[in-house]
Amino acid sequence: MNTKLIATLVAGAALSLGAAAQTGPIRIGVVTPLSGTYAGIGQQVKWGLDMAANEINAAGGVMGRRLELIYEDEEANPAVAVQKAEKLFQVSKVDFLTGTVNSGSTLAVGQVAERNNRLIATTVSFADTITAEKCSPNVFRVNARAGMQSAALAEWMASTKPNASVFYLGPDYEMGRSTVAAFKAAAEGKGAKTVGEVFAPLDNKDYSPFFGQMRSARPSVIYTSVAGNDTVRLLTQMAEFGLSRNVQIVGASGTVTSQNLSAIGKAADGFVTGVGYTPNIDNPENKKFVGAFEAANKAKPDLYGADSYGVLFFYKAAVEKARSTDTDKVRAAMRGIQWATPQGVKTMRAGDHQAMQDMYAVRVNSGQFEIVGKVPASAAIGPDTCAKF
Amino acid sequence: MPDPHISSPRGPSALRVFTYLFFFGALCFALLAKWMGDVFFLRLATEALIFGGLALSVDLLLGRVGLLPLGQALFFGLGAYVSALVLKEWSASFWLSMGITLCVCAIAGLIGGVIAIRAKGVYFALISFGLAQVISKIVFNTRELGASDGIIGVPAVAVVPGVDSGDPLGFFLVTLVIILGLYVGLRYLMETPMGRQLSAIRVNEHRVPFLGFDPWRFKLMAFVGAACIAGVSGALYPMLRGFVSPELMFFQVSGNAVINVIVGGTGTLIGPLYGSVLLTGLRSVVGSFTAHHQIVIGLLFVMVVILFPRGLVGYLAPLLQNRLNLPTRNRGEL
Amino acid sequence: MNQVLEWLQFVLAPQMINGLSIGVAVVLMALGLTIIFGLLDVINMAHGEFYAIGAYVAVAILGLGLSFWWALLLTPVLMAALGYVTERGLIQRVFHSKDRHTLTLLLTFGVAVVLEDVLKIIFGANPLRIESPIPGGTEMLGLFFPNYRLFVMGMGGLVIVAVWLLVFRTSLGAMVRAAAFDRYMSASLGVPVSRVYAGTFAFGVALAGVAGVLLAPIYSVFPTMGRDFVLIAFSVVIIGGMGSIKGAVLAGLLLTQIQSISSLFISPVWNDPLLFGIMVLVLMWRPQGLFGKLGHA
Repeated sequence: MNTKLIATLVAGAALSLGAAAQTGPIRIGVVTPLSGTYAGIGQQVKWGLDMAANEINAAGGVMGRRLELIYEDEEANPAVAVQKAEKLFQVSKVDFLTGTVNSGSTLAVGQVAERNNRLIATTVSFADTITAEKCSPNVFRVNARAGMQSAALAEWMASTKPNASVFYLGPDYEMGRSTVAAFKAAAEGKGAKTVGEVFAPLDNKDYSPFFGQMRSARPSVIYTSVAGNDTVRLLTQMAEFGLSRNVQIVGASGTVTSQNLSAIGKAADGFVTGVGYTPNIDNPENKKFVGAFEAANKAKPDLYGADSYGVLFFYKAAVEKARSTDTDKVRAAMRGIQWATPQGVKTMRAGDHQAMQDMYAVRVNSGQFEIVGKVPASAAIGPDTCAKF
Repeated sequence: MPDPHISSPRGPSALRVFTYLFFFGALCFALLAKWMGDVFFLRLATEALIFGGLALSVDLLLGRVGLLPLGQALFFGLGAYVSALVLKEWSASFWLSMGITLCVCAIAGLIGGVIAIRAKGVYFALISFGLAQVISKIVFNTRELGASDGIIGVPAVAVVPGVDSGDPLGFFLVTLVIILGLYVGLRYLMETPMGRQLSAIRVNEHRVPFLGFDPWRFKLMAFVGAACIAGVSGALYPMLRGFVSPELMFFQVSGNAVINVIVGGTGTLIGPLYGSVLLTGLRSVVGSFTAHHQIVIGLLFVMVVILFPRGLVGYLAPLLQNRLNLPTRNRGEL
Repeated sequence: MNQVLEWLQFVLAPQMINGLSIGVAVVLMALGLTIIFGLLDVINMAHGEFYAIGAYVAVAILGLGLSFWWALLLTPVLMAALGYVTERGLIQRVFHSKDRHTLTLLLTFGVAVVLEDVLKIIFGANPLRIESPIPGGTEMLGLFFPNYRLFVMGMGGLVIVAVWLLVFRTSLGAMVRAAAFDRYMSASLGVPVSRVYAGTFAFGVALAGVAGVLLAPIYSVFPTMGRDFVLIAFSVVIIGGMGSIKGAVLAGLLLTQIQSISSLFISPVWNDPLLFGIMVLVLMWRPQGLFGKLGHA
């Protein structure tokens, strides 16, 4: 064949290969539980990410490059999450990774990210340690952490029920206990009294053995940090036994969510919690977001869906600010950056990679999360205790 | 049907062929991976070998003694946690960590064995299951052990000068040597009088005392041995992945190990290694295609139990043995 | 003195009644399991999944617009059919090998894994709930107790008595016990043994299904609910004696009472370890459990 033709072809091929590195899609790995107990949360994460990716790509992508999402199922097991994360980094060569739900997975995958010199962001894990004692320079968090949720709730409780007598019921494992402890500290700091504290086993079926204690303590407020199926059982059984009359029930943000709300039904009415998001937030951005989300998925977004939607805009803003997808440049750009979300404008605190946002106290009423209180970002965030960078 | 466990007078036993095949297959895989500069598949294969060690310990109890353990992940996780703690808090030394894990698991195996060995059949399975449930719950709740988050930040260790646990190829080869070493050790043990004792116990435990032996002691020894094998395999996990979590003790891991053994071939000892490699690969591949990989694995398992209860190697080995013995058969020696 | 009486009335008594309602639930589960083992010599690791399927079937029936009472009536029938098919189609195939115990355990374990995922595919991963058909409660001993729980206790008690009558006072029950005692002899006396086996398995599965329906309004319905009762049901069956109905009932009620009362003094987190400890002790001292096999009870 004609040597000139061959040379041109080869040159053309080489050029386009080189160009592909800069104009090919930006790959984002998502390691999220698509099966197992947390599949419902993983579903919201997927919906939020898909919607954000579609919107960003329709508007021209990030620096002209499309976003491509690659999903792997972590089965809510850190051992599997680590394996899948490594696969995404090494084989699929993703530039960024998100989607981990439980804190064990986020911490372990953060380590993998450090080894592969990539960044990850979590949109669900709320354990304080992730951006405190166990913080990592490669891990960012765009959702509110447990301390922020407690701050919003404690503030609301102090203003509506001053000097309340509180009874605590939590699931007996690290997360349940520390959530109870965090809220107790915040509440007692604002004048509340503790009249009882009890811990039930995780996946406990029957809470009736605790009701005797609860009743005799005569609390005005009951705080619980159970989640998922345990919440369904606790709240419905409390209603059955007539314990929810004349008592204000409050809890952690993961206690009543869109996954278990329909199963709890009427027994959830009146429940108040502190969260970073509710579909009822009244601003034009959120209304547009909720409308589009419902149309696409036939379900309302919850905090997991909304925060997952926001994380791609966070990444987009950082890459555009850094004018590159190089890890160190993006990390520097992420620190201190502000970006628009359906909840308003969030700021990424540079010291510990924790996003700052306004927090809301919401009350459940006939399947809706109504806003009953608000705490500004600076008051809710709490101190920066990350000492690693 | 010729016994694949025994070498025929003229040729190798089929199981030995399978062992060589496994070893050389692993070496070829390692060379290929190195040439392609791969990291992920080497680490995945190392993980498959580590869980293969756990499957080996299950097969020792199930295939050789006749006891079905549904909680072997307890010792696996125990080994992993001890190793992680030694490496992180004490000294990043491979041999120290392995040594301490061995001791701890031997003691744990002794205690667990004394509790569990008295029972047989389903009772043993349930005690094993219950033990794992109880201990894993305790670990899940203990703040000093990282509670539900586990322990991260386990450093890489140097195994021998020049080979580091962070090095995918090097550590893969180290793990291969260790696991195959465990296998060879077990095979040798099975040929000794003690091994014959265990076979006798599996076949008919009631007759053994009439021969003058106490089955209880041998069963306990086997149980402790299985605990140590599981623990040593588990100790390799934090070196590979840099973390441990309570999920390593959960029933999912024990159940997967039993599935690996059944699919690979109960009693063959090399079968579980094949099973672990096969199923780890399958789970990874299927998991990327669909979120319903549990059904696929479950159906495969049910089919194997009904149609091929002897497992892959258990089914293929006698066939291979026939072919290997063919030349001698013509001379009328069968 | 007054204080002791008060404690007895307001603390201990309610706790014991609670324990009774949990106990009836556990006994219903354990009954099916012990019958299946006692007769068929089959360890049904999928029993928890059949309990879950019973609850989901009830959800589906309610979804069709029928009332709870229809669900209570129809679910056992549907579950029995499922059990019959399972026994004939799967368990029969491994029944005649010499490794029967291990193989059936493994087989039912595999079936359980598959069923759990199937439930998740059909019904989704999120929890569901059935409204309690008998709302409200009664004031008893100074304590407010939900009516539906009283109903469950009563209904469960009726079911247990009915099962006992069926097994020990009817000719059908006699056939079943004969087949358990000596299958070849019974076969030669004209008992259709393989149909009896399949029917008994179906019956045990139906019992699990009934438990699922009855407990769904209290404990809610979700794909992994099968695991709720596995450990305690097996423990009860082992402690009571595999195959003994009397044993399952007594052990079930006794153990749940022990758990209930002990949670007044120590944290309920120790419930499972306590149960497990009792099981180990019983096995060490009396490996066949408190009472004997079905054929001999």
